[in-house]
Amino acid sequence: MSALVERHRGLIWLTGREVLRVMKLWTQTIVAPVLASFLFIVVFGLSLGGRIRQIDGFDYEVFIVPGLIVMAMVQAAYSNNSSSVFQARFDRYLHDVLAAPMRPWEVNLGLSLGGAVRALIIAVALLVLSLLLVDVPVRHPGVLALAVALALVLFSALGVIVGIYAETFDHHTFVNNILILPLTFLGGVFYSVESLPSPWQEISHANPIFFLVSAVRYGFLGHSDVSVALSLAITAALAVGAVAWSSWLFSTGRRLKD
Amino acid sequence: MTLPPSTVAPALELRALTKRYDDGLLALDAVDLVVPAGEFFGLLGPNGAGKTTLISAVCNLIRVSSGQIRVFGHDHAEPAARRLVGLAEQDVNLDRFLDVEETLLYHGGYYGLSRARTHERAREMMDVFDLRAKAGTRAPKLSGGMRRRLLLARALMHEPRLVILDEPTAGVDFELRMELWRYIRRLHSTGTTILLTTHYLEEAEELCEEIALIRGGHVIARDSAAGLRARYAADSLADVYVKAMGAP
Repeated sequence: MSALVERHRGLIWLTGREVLRVMKLWTQTIVAPVLASFLFIVVFGLSLGGRIRQIDGFDYEVFIVPGLIVMAMVQAAYSNNSSSVFQARFDRYLHDVLAAPMRPWEVNLGLSLGGAVRALIIAVALLVLSLLLVDVPVRHPGVLALAVALALVLFSALGVIVGIYAETFDHHTFVNNILILPLTFLGGVFYSVESLPSPWQEISHANPIFFLVSAVRYGFLGHSDVSVALSLAITAALAVGAVAWSSWLFSTGRRLKD
Repeated sequence: MTLPPSTVAPALELRALTKRYDDGLLALDAVDLVVPAGEFFGLLGPNGAGKTTLISAVCNLIRVSSGQIRVFGHDHAEPAARRLVGLAEQDVNLDRFLDVEETLLYHGGYYGLSRARTHERAREMMDVFDLRAKAGTRAPKLSGGMRRRLLLARALMHEPRLVILDEPTAGVDFELRMELWRYIRRLHSTGTTILLTTHYLEEAEELCEEIALIRGGHVIARDSAAGLRARYAADSLADVYVKAMGAP
């Protein structure tokens, strides 16, 4: 164990640095997203929930919790890593890491884990707060753990990639506001895609976040709009693609080094 | 008994090092350069000559187009070589989220120092560079002089055998410059190899045992300050510089 720690000391410190950044900025990185998502549960779930009939046999305020947790998690994992990597490139303190005796995969992993840790903290905090208001079951913990792990890998890697490609700070917010947020909203966080008329139901199946929301909802509620195996397979394929892309950037130095 | 490469090899060895940037600019054109271990070596040239590109190539901060770089006999990309090099860049590139002590601790961690040694060395560096009173201050809140000290302390944190200083005294007041040079001289006297770029020619003349002049991505001359003066029939290194850089 100690030999393993010694071999990967750089990775451990880099991960520690990314988590330290999250903790130092806790009001922005933890409190704000938890509060925003919790307000969705309060406003949409409790205030409007009484006027909406059950969805797929679940009270509305219960139905929306898994999707809201996904939404908060993916945004946190993505935006944490894209902003952290972009700042490190922009201010050039990334040089201290790139010059260090770490392997490319260690740098990639270290920079990715900050977003994953932040997203997990938010997910747990949001679940605990939700349980104070509504009774959300966890029917398939194994599926839930796998879906959450895949979501963290996919969006942490995506954040790192965008952080590497971004030329200005606007670029990373652009991807969040124009791509991730709309796809999350349209991914069945607040409704069942099955209730949509054609062709919107079919179009929703082109949205990768729909499959992620479905998998996480299955983990919690035991119900999904599509096959959970298909949801996990699609999310896993995207996660592998994102990790392959970020690994290529670090191993070749493209965009990171002139 | 065969000595390990790091004890017999030059501190730095460049063979046909070429760097062409993506926009087509040829910054280094087949540069050959050997810096013996333990030497105080100066690299002089105008802006855009290729000094920072050369340093960045050694420190794995740019992608090299072709050629070889060896640090104490190791390929520069290997972890073994990286551990031996400390870099203080021209730009102040300190992590904005870390305070002074954390900057040193995390750097030590990135370079594989044990936790105990990292803490011990960080305390040493803060004492040497008079940073102890600012241990809990984040880098952006430090004065310019303090940032420069921290940059140097960070470069030395992992006890590198080759220290690369890219214009370390640019924008630094006279007193701090003298103080930094006192420390660098002391460091050199313990056997550390120093590779220095500077625009202060009198500084290079006084400090460096050997100087390479670089222009347009080529090393155009290399000798001691006295040797360069004799070669260019000049009274001072400043005269050498003017003649060498102005020559067609």
